[in-house]
Order: sequence, then structure tokens, then C-alpha cells
Amino acid sequence: MKLLADERDIKFVLHEQLRIEELSRYPRFSEFSREICDMVLDQAEKLAEKEFYPTNRKGDEEGCTFEDGQVRVPGCFREPYRLYCEGGWLAMADPPEVGGQGFPFLLGNACLEFLGSANWAVMMYPGLTHGAARLLERHGSRELQDIYMYRMYSGEWAGTMCLTEDVAGSDVGSLRTKAVKREDGSYSISGQKIFISCGMHDLTENIVHMVLARTEGAPRGAKGISIFVVPRLLPREDGILEDNDVRCAGIEKKLGIHGSSTCVLNFGENGNCRGFLLGEENAGMRIMFDMMNEARLFVGMQGLCHANAAYLHALQYAKDRIQGAPVERMKDPFAPRVPIIQHPDVRRMLMFMKSSTEGMRALMHLASYCIDRVRAAQDPGERERFQGYVDLLIPICKSVGSDLGFRVCETAIQVYGGYGYSREYPVEQFLRDCKIASIYEGTNGIQALDLVGRKLTLKRGQLVKNALAAIDEILAKVRTNFNLRDMVQIYDEAQESLIQVTKFFALKGMTDEFHVPLLYAKPYLDLCGDVSMGFLLLWQAHLADRRLREIYRDHNASDDVSRGKVLRENRSAAFYFGKIASARFFINQVLTQAGGRARSIMNNDKSALDIPDHGFALV
Amino acid sequence: MNIVVIIKQTPDTESVIRIAPDNKSIVTEGLKWIINPYDEFAIEAALRLKSKHGGNVTVVTYGPPRVVEALRTALAMGADDAVHVDDPAMKTADFLRVTRALAAAATECDPEIILMGSRAVDYDQGQRGAIVAEMLGWPHLPLAVSLESDGKVVTIERPIEGGKVTLESPLPVLVTLGGSHAIWNPRYASLPGIMKAKKKPLKARKLTDLGLDPADFGPETARIRITSLEMPPQRAAGRMIDDGLDTEGKARELVRVLHEEARVI
Repeated sequence: MKLLADERDIKFVLHEQLRIEELSRYPRFSEFSREICDMVLDQAEKLAEKEFYPTNRKGDEEGCTFEDGQVRVPGCFREPYRLYCEGGWLAMADPPEVGGQGFPFLLGNACLEFLGSANWAVMMYPGLTHGAARLLERHGSRELQDIYMYRMYSGEWAGTMCLTEDVAGSDVGSLRTKAVKREDGSYSISGQKIFISCGMHDLTENIVHMVLARTEGAPRGAKGISIFVVPRLLPREDGILEDNDVRCAGIEKKLGIHGSSTCVLNFGENGNCRGFLLGEENAGMRIMFDMMNEARLFVGMQGLCHANAAYLHALQYAKDRIQGAPVERMKDPFAPRVPIIQHPDVRRMLMFMKSSTEGMRALMHLASYCIDRVRAAQDPGERERFQGYVDLLIPICKSVGSDLGFRVCETAIQVYGGYGYSREYPVEQFLRDCKIASIYEGTNGIQALDLVGRKLTLKRGQLVKNALAAIDEILAKVRTNFNLRDMVQIYDEAQESLIQVTKFFALKGMTDEFHVPLLYAKPYLDLCGDVSMGFLLLWQAHLADRRLREIYRDHNASDDVSRGKVLRENRSAAFYFGKIASARFFINQVLTQAGGRARSIMNNDKSALDIPDHGFALV
Repeated sequence: MNIVVIIKQTPDTESVIRIAPDNKSIVTEGLKWIINPYDEFAIEAALRLKSKHGGNVTVVTYGPPRVVEALRTALAMGADDAVHVDDPAMKTADFLRVTRALAAAATECDPEIILMGSRAVDYDQGQRGAIVAEMLGWPHLPLAVSLESDGKVVTIERPIEGGKVTLESPLPVLVTLGGSHAIWNPRYASLPGIMKAKKKPLKARKLTDLGLDPADFGPETARIRITSLEMPPQRAAGRMIDDGLDTEGKARELVRVLHEEARVI
């Protein structure tokens, strides 16, 4: 059964909504075509089905082990990792000059839908490696690139990001790891990092860490942070790899992603750890933020991936599981028992999962598409405009993907009932694996602060204005569609609510009540997520409605009976009908709440701030 | 070694198959298509032979424009070139005539060995291999689960009840592949492979190009016709014997049901 990701909907977003093929008009993607796009998607799905998914449960049960300073990943991860690297997937969206395949980033994330849904824990290793290699590509010297970057993009060596310390998590500026300059220009690194994903493992011979640390005399806080390339094994000139005094002191026992090692790393316990400065001293945060957009989108994708698998599994279960009589014969003990998909409450849950997953998919892929436009644009104005969309979308993608992804997993368990809660069925693992996504790579609270504190105010709010203008342009076409006017009206009201809250925040920001926007940044972000997804689903409904009418016309179906027949017999018609249903459900069930959400923020309720700490509970 | 692999595009094994209103064909709209898995084993076997002996691997198929996708996938796996027998007359041809066209297309490539799946996961006739071999007058080694060659002789193993038998034949020879995904473990197309596939030669051939007369392929020439298709009957739900009985009572009830209702004992 293909229960990892909805291939048809992925292709709908890629081809019919975002028109990925048109990227080939840019020199960067001149070799790209629809045929190639579909072949790549097919291979990703095949690899995911045949190699990644079969190791998902096993990897979860076996987990990582720590013994004598060594970390072992589940043995069954080796083969999928090898095939992934050998197939050229790790750097599929990077330019050929650095060893990549040069595909659009959007296609890369579409493939990730299959691979990540099949086994997120495996995907962590190349995911982290890619982020680290990209830092080297953007900021490393030619020498560092020659030694490390190519080997990382090929997957021969792995990479990590080492930010967090015991007193420096969300508050990364407080970190204490030290870097002391040596005579040869390199630095001696010493300190401890915690929660380092893939910090130590046995999938590759070497691991190259990107470590945030302070040089001597650096300014306090985030402005005094530099970033260093610190390999676990240091290549000598003759090519032999020498120990570089990086030790793993233990791994975390976690709720989920058991196959991904989460490590405590000690650098320079014996004073022999060498690191190499990336960029300039004290530029660490700026450099790190350079890969943050993609890293955060990767985490948003994680939520989408788990939602994908959870939804499709729950859907299949609802079709198979026989329980209860049909609603119209509920009290008749002789009524035949029916699959639970026939029960209204189950259908509502499935529709929530379907519309949420499709909304998230459109959101993530829109962000990926904008990243492609930034990379490919030759006109600086175009590049800047799309960069603005990306900046605005990233905190929304990260937060909505992880939070809503989790809700979808939770609903999947609800559809399964007691079996969903048991290990006998796969959905409980999706839920456990998903939870971390709202926490790492900047908690969703941090995402909200990034959106409200930084992105809204960038260029005096121009980002928001540009985004609204772009939405307006697309909606102009949707507005001409009579079939969708009820949805358009609800959308307009929701968007207006969002604009009201945005203005409210701008005003509060100028008063001594500036902490109110901080207090309600997260609900505001959620509202942005709902409105964004509502817009994208509405846009999709418009495209689907057009296609559906064409199919009806081709089949001479002008009345309800003949249309019903087409819907039963024609897969495409059923698909497009389902797309319109997703939009209608989401807009009616979720977007109608936007006004209430806006009111809950603008009521200016400060009870959460006013209450004394001991007023929360006398314990 | 000059190798030809004859492949077929079939609906994905995971597809839900529905019968079309004409009752003689299936609904193909919205179907996902793949290379017949047994033919994929043949591609893998061919690529292994090539890596050992060098030479050229050509994939051959027939069908509507969508089959080009299957050929490109084979090229992305590592085949060198491809032939698409693309002729409207093929639409109405029966299996025997389709096979004749495929044999002609394969012969054009001057192969020393032809590989294909022992069966296809669509109509499951299992005839193509034997017919092509017969038309060429070549030996046919069927149902291979292993394949070796020293460049002159081909050796295969095929399963028989309770064991395997080893068969060998001098070249040229036609081998049909049996076994399973686990035995052949066909390679995935790599991303660089997919990009290269775009530039590899893919020839379209009409029946006349192959020296065949389209008139011989008309529906009236077909020796086999599909008169109707039907879905397998729905299996009735199983019955659990419980009724609050103890083990002996359940056994007694089971015997009674088998004897009186099912009438099998």
C-alpha cells in the first residue's frame, strides 16, 4: 500500500498550482523538464517505499546505543543511507559546481515528502549534513571547501550544527564554548554542547561539526559569537585522519526519532581540539542564520511528512475497519456493520486531516518555490521580492508544519481508536516522532517572536504589503468564479481580521504595552498560518473547479445523476472534487474562527502577565 | 556483449484495477504505470552482464506515448539506448502479433542475448519469451533466478519443485527472468542517471520500418480476443465458531458445519 504521501496531490501542487516546469526558463534550471521531474518523484517514492519505510519501526525499536564513547545507529539504517547518498539525493538541489544535481529546491522538498514520511530518523543524518555543507559552500575558504564540503555533499562524511549548551538554548547568546587562536591561525576549541542531533554515529567515517563559540575578548551576547569548522577526525596532509579530541559523553533517551542520535559533545577535553574559523570572528550568528531558513523549512517539512503518513494510514484503516451500523439504522441490531469511514464523526476527522495536510503541503512548497525564485532570479528586484516572501513564510512554515502536523497525527490515533494508541499499529510512532519538530531549530515560540519582532517590522512592513498584493493578484482570478464566492467571502473576512491584529500589534509596539504583541505572538502566528493555508486552498479550489468542469463537459455530464456517475468512475474527477471539498471544509471549519481568534488577541487580556508566579498554583 | 531487454509497462502493482464500461478492458485514466517488475529484473541482469563483459544494453517496448516513460527509466538505470515500437496498428494486435513486432525490433539490434521477464503483472500470460525465442529459432532458458556468462555460454538456475536445476546454452539465447525482488534487487535510477537518460538515444519504429505490414496487425487477424473481464468474486466474511461453546462443542460444531453446510467432509 502506498501510504506515505499523496503523490497525486504533490503533482497537483508542483504542476498545476506552482508550475514547476516553468522554472526551466531560468539558466540555472534549463535542463529541467516535467518528464524529468516525474521520474525523480517516482524514484523518490520507490526508494521511500522499498528501503526507508521498512526500517522505520525497526529503527524506532532498536534506537541508538552508546557504549565506550561510540554511538551506533540502528543497523538497518545503513542500506537506506547508502542508497540515498549513492543516488545523489543529498545534494540534489545544489549546483553541479559543488557536486550537486542542480534540481529545483521545490522538487527536493517534494521528494522529501516521500522519504521523510517513510523514515524521518534516517533523514536527519543527511539533513544535518546538508545544512553544514551549505555553510561551507557559502562561507568557507577554498581550502576548507576542498577538504570538507565535497565529501559532505556526497554523504561520505556527515555534518552537524552545534549551537545549544546547558545554559544556552533559545538564549543562544549566552553560550560559553571557547575558541583560542593558535599560532597557525586555527583555534583551540573547548566546551560542551548538548542536544546535538547526529553529533556522533557510525554511518560515516568522519563527522564535521559547525560549532558556535566565543573568541577571547569577544563582546557579550550574540554579537560575540563566531562559528568554527571542527571535524571529529582531522585530515593530515598525507590524508590520514587524526583524532581531534571531540568526545561524545552520552546520548539522550527521547520520546521519538529514536534512530537519530542526540548527543552531548565535549570539545577539547584534553586541550587538543582544533577548529577553523568560518567567515570572520564575531560573525557566527549572521552566518548561522544564513542556513536557518532552509533548516527551519526542513523542520516544517518534518511535520508535513508525519501528517502525510498519519493521514493516509488512518484513511486506509477507516476504509478497512468494520464497526457499528450505518447511522440511519443505528438502533437496529440486525443492521449490517459498516467500515468506520461511513460514520460522520470519522469523516470529519478525515477531512480535518486531509485539508490540513494539503494546506501544509501547499504552504511548504510555496516557500520552496520562492527559494528557487530567489536562487534563480537574475533581476535584483525579483530576487528581493521573493526573498521577502521567504522571510515571511519561514516562521509560519516551521511552526504550522510542526504544530498542525502533530494535531494530524493525534487525530490519526483517534481514528484508529485503542489500536492507534498501541504499538501494534504505526500511527503512535508518527506522533512521537513528530513532537520534537515544534521544539528544535528554534521553538515555535521563538518562531512567533521572529515573525512579530523581526519580519513584520522589516522594511517598515513592506514584506507584508508585498505578500498581500501578491495574494490579491491571484485572488482576482478566483473572485470571477461564481462557484467559490461563499468561500471567498469567508476568506476576505479572515484576512481582514489578520490585518486588524497586525495593525493592533504595530500600535502596541509603540506604547508601553509592547509586551502584548510578545504575549500573543504565537496565536498571531497561528492566525497567519490559517489565513495562508486558507488562501492556498482557495487558489487550489479554483484550479480544481475549472478542471472538474472540463471533465464534466467531456463526459456530457450536466445533471447531478450523470455527474455522480463521473465522480464514481473517473479518478481525476474524484480528485478535483476532493480538492474543492478540502478548501470548503478548511475555510468553513477553520477560517471562520479567525474573527474570534483576532478578538481574543485584541481584547488586550493581560491576565497571563498580571498573575503573580505563585498565583499559578500554591505548590 | 550486445544485449536486448524487452520490457512492458504495466499498471503499478498497488493500483486499484477497475473494469471499463466495455467489459473488455480496464480503466486506464489516472493509473500509475511502472516497468513490469519481472522486466526490471531483466534490466538488472543485463546491466550486470554489461559491467562484466562490456557491450551495449538496448531496451525495447511497444505501446502508446506513455511507455516512453518506462524506456527513460530503464535508460536512467543504466541502459544505453531504447527502441519504441510505436504504431497505431499495434493497438488492435493480439499477443502473438505484438510479439512478432517485438522480435523484429529486437533482431534489428543484432543481439547476442535477449532478456525479459518470465511474466508480466498485467494479463499474466507468460508467453512473450517463449514466442520470441521460437520466432528467432533461439534456445529459451526460462524462469532464471541466477544468470552467469563467460561470454560464450550462458548458465542459469531455475527453481523446480524442491530444488533448482542448472541450464546452459551457447549464445545467442533468450532468457526469461523469474525469482523475486529480493533475488534480483534491481538498482534504483540515480539522479545523475536520470539526467543522462534524457540525452540517450531513443528510436521510434513503425511496423513498416521493421519490415512488417500493418495490415497483418488488424483486429480481424487476432487469434485471441478478450471477450470479457470480470473481477474476482468478493470473498464472503469468515465465520467464527464461538457461540459460547467449550472446545469440544466448537469442534463438534465445526465438523457439523463442514459436513452439513460446506459438504466437504
